[in-house]
Amino acid sequence: MVSATLVESLRLWLPEVILGLGAMGVVLCGALTHRRAAAAMLTAVVLFASAVLLVNAQATPPAEGFFGMIRLDPLAHVFRWLAWGVVALVVLMAWCASDVSPKWFGEYLGLLMVVGVGLMLMAEAQHLLMAYLAIELVSLTSYLLVALTRDARSSEAGLKYLLFGALSSGIMLFGMSLLFGVTGELAFPAIREALERLPSSQMRLCATAVGLVSVGLAFKISMVPFHLWTPDVYEGAPVPVTAMLSVGPKAAGFALWIRVIQMVEPVWGAIAPAVWWLTVVTMTVGNLAALSQTNVKRLLAYSTIGQVGYLLIGLSVRTAAGIEAILVYLAAYLFMNLGAFACVVAVVTDSGSESVDAFRGLARRAPVLALCCAVFLLSLAGLPPLFGFIGKFLLFGAAIQSQAVWLAVAGVVNSAIALYYYVNIIRQMYLLSPQQARPLRPAAAVQVALGVCGVATVVFGVFPSGVFAWIQGVI
Amino acid sequence: MILSGLLLIPLIGMLVVLLLPKTATRLIRLTATVSTALTLGVSLAVLRLFDPQAAGVQLETFIPWIPQLNIAYHLGVDGLSIMMVLLTTGLSFLACLASWSIPERQKEYFTLYLLLELGMLGTFLALDLFLFYVFWEIVLVPMYFLIGIWGGGRREYSAFKFFVYTLAGSLAMLLGILAIYVATHTFNMTELAQVCPTFAPGLQHLLFVAFFLGFAIKVPVFPFHTWLPDAHVDAPTPISVLLAGVLLKMGAYGFFRISYPFFPEGARWFAGAMAALGMINIVYGAFVAMAQTDFKRMVAYSSVSHMGFVLLGLSSLTPEGFNGALLQMFNHGTITGAMFLLVGVLYDRAHTRDLTAFGGLGSRLPVYAAMLTIFSLASLGLPGLSGFVSEFLSFVGAFGVQRWPTIVSVLGIVVTAAYMLTAIQRVLLGALNQRWQALPDMTPQELVTVVPLLIIVVLVGVYPLSVLRLQDPAILALLQHVGMFQ
Repeated sequence: MVSATLVESLRLWLPEVILGLGAMGVVLCGALTHRRAAAAMLTAVVLFASAVLLVNAQATPPAEGFFGMIRLDPLAHVFRWLAWGVVALVVLMAWCASDVSPKWFGEYLGLLMVVGVGLMLMAEAQHLLMAYLAIELVSLTSYLLVALTRDARSSEAGLKYLLFGALSSGIMLFGMSLLFGVTGELAFPAIREALERLPSSQMRLCATAVGLVSVGLAFKISMVPFHLWTPDVYEGAPVPVTAMLSVGPKAAGFALWIRVIQMVEPVWGAIAPAVWWLTVVTMTVGNLAALSQTNVKRLLAYSTIGQVGYLLIGLSVRTAAGIEAILVYLAAYLFMNLGAFACVVAVVTDSGSESVDAFRGLARRAPVLALCCAVFLLSLAGLPPLFGFIGKFLLFGAAIQSQAVWLAVAGVVNSAIALYYYVNIIRQMYLLSPQQARPLRPAAAVQVALGVCGVATVVFGVFPSGVFAWIQGVI
Repeated sequence: MILSGLLLIPLIGMLVVLLLPKTATRLIRLTATVSTALTLGVSLAVLRLFDPQAAGVQLETFIPWIPQLNIAYHLGVDGLSIMMVLLTTGLSFLACLASWSIPERQKEYFTLYLLLELGMLGTFLALDLFLFYVFWEIVLVPMYFLIGIWGGGRREYSAFKFFVYTLAGSLAMLLGILAIYVATHTFNMTELAQVCPTFAPGLQHLLFVAFFLGFAIKVPVFPFHTWLPDAHVDAPTPISVLLAGVLLKMGAYGFFRISYPFFPEGARWFAGAMAALGMINIVYGAFVAMAQTDFKRMVAYSSVSHMGFVLLGLSSLTPEGFNGALLQMFNHGTITGAMFLLVGVLYDRAHTRDLTAFGGLGSRLPVYAAMLTIFSLASLGLPGLSGFVSEFLSFVGAFGVQRWPTIVSVLGIVVTAAYMLTAIQRVLLGALNQRWQALPDMTPQELVTVVPLLIIVVLVGVYPLSVLRLQDPAILALLQHVGMFQ
């Protein structure tokens, strides 16, 4: 009986199994052969295999796996694809980035894939233990990846991330233990049932527990006031890792939070007002702080915080339309933000400088790269007809639908503020003359990443029906 | 389907320019010119197919685009948009000819130029609110680059100011669009014109203001006008022509297409404010124009003044006022477009636009002097030229309804006459400044861009019915629609 369940679960979970085993294979391959090409090729094969298995898994009906530890439903499936997309695109960027020593290349790619498994698990978790393990899997590998450059800045960033992360994990674990203490359950559906029968005298304790769990998630998605680590860590980490951090844990954090909110629905009312306010604060703080940044990684870090603020609108309203908007916006965000980071990889690899000035005159040195970069930035700014606009449109629409007009107003005002720093980079690229005339040619792998992200940002922006059809099946 | 051709030709032209090598400047210019010429040709074919007697939308195209949100690729023309489409295609072609002298980065220039034309045409053709917004926003990006890269003076500042101002306005409009969609679940403008007027008055007022912000910044209505002088002055000549000639009309067109038919209650509620703002635009714009010594800046402020007549005509809610407002949009596009071309001609030769530096050019450049005089007179509203007709109609319409704003606005005409005549005097009359002894007169290439506009200005001035008969049925229907929801 037990073995039958395990076999069945493993069959459902095959994409993650392949990705996880492949990650170890790549690490070993890198450590034994010290050949970049071998590790890279193996990574490509593993990613391809897991993609094929993910396509296969599409048709299977919603199911629980590993004795109710994980749930593989359409929602999880969307996030599995998002996680896969993050890993694949970041691997393409890491392929040529020079900031990590070639000696560690196998570990680099392998750890990225482990993060991918963790991200998928976060979205699938249906059990407090599993949720905690998934978050720790993502966090621990992220600490390593951030510090992988092994210079002072990178190590500092890794340590900072570790300290902040450990603190927030502790807080979250405390919240989970309270939740377990009150309800006596660990599985999400059981907790939900227990909460519905909960005597009102224990509601406050329960709300506290939920609040503490939320803090841990807020840390993962860089929600203000738990965002303080973000700019420093983003600045210190290798650019592809920053790219991964800016999308992967954010998406998975939202997935887990959506499930947690569904689980604690009876007591969420006590937390909701705080989340509403922090939604507005998050986007405002992120966008205002981004205005004065001169380091492009820090700028994109604050931009990420601003973008998380927009996404939180969908979480605040807690309607089907809100969740749908989150999914669409995350899909858009995957392409536009990773695309923007691919541009940063190309520019930083060429100039060695992370300053916004390094983008000066890019339009003359690399017209296609500059065009792609402009498209990503305009999409992040929310201009039609790009994918980012569609997502924002749905998010603000969901807010108005739920009578939360002022959330939409805050989002709109923030979009106007954000325009300033996005357009500033475009100004550097197109309006100023370059510091050096030498043409810039991004590496082939980065070109592929740019191409995929650019095409997706434009095509899904002009023809979003396909994405809608795919995501509407989820809810 | 013919309307899709209007959008496809610039799109294809843009893609061809993108594929051409950077160094093939001649071929790039030629492709762009042929594209704009073909678009103009198609728009003339649209005019032939257009039935002036019919009030409703014609030549409709409807293709579902995002069915989940009820968004469609929905195009059409009616009496409100037909002249705007012709204005856009005409000025785009003429300004494209004037763009041959762009000295650098031609490939990028013409790519963006054609994208701009696509966006402008789409805005006037769209009958789906979402599509309208998409085209409305598409215009921003190429315009930012066109001012920022090829402009003069503080071009970066001006381009950015333009971008931020208009985007802020359109975000207010976006909120309005979302609110409408949440309430009605449709973006079809024809349906919305039937549904939205039934909203509660309070909601109508709110939505009217949201859209007003979006349109008013584009028009621009005082106090949102400050981006205009900067952007117009620092843009290269052909882009100034399109800015003044077409972009400002997008805002005014929004009133006709969305604000008034969707929110009749809001329109009546706002009429007094509209008249007051129109008055301020006319008088304030004229006085500020009078104070300018930079020729281009003077023309830019004259735009603020002239767009005031559109607001004044709109505020009247009468057939005369509406006809005057819509005709004023067309006339301002042709007259001010030509004025910017003429300022450009002078600047190309003298490399200064300082009005006090000239004098006596009338004898040196007789052809130029004739052109400048005629268009200045048209601009100040001389009877027999087109500007007079539309300004007169706006006054006639508004006088019975908004008496005092109209009376004050008439003073604006006097001020306009004063600054326009002063400018002519400073540039053309008096003793010839010896610096300009060797200045050549207008070349045939330059004349080609201005003479068609001259013909239109005279034609509309002498026989205004040529344009009025196209727009009158649609305007009567619009007013009847507004009156129906009392």
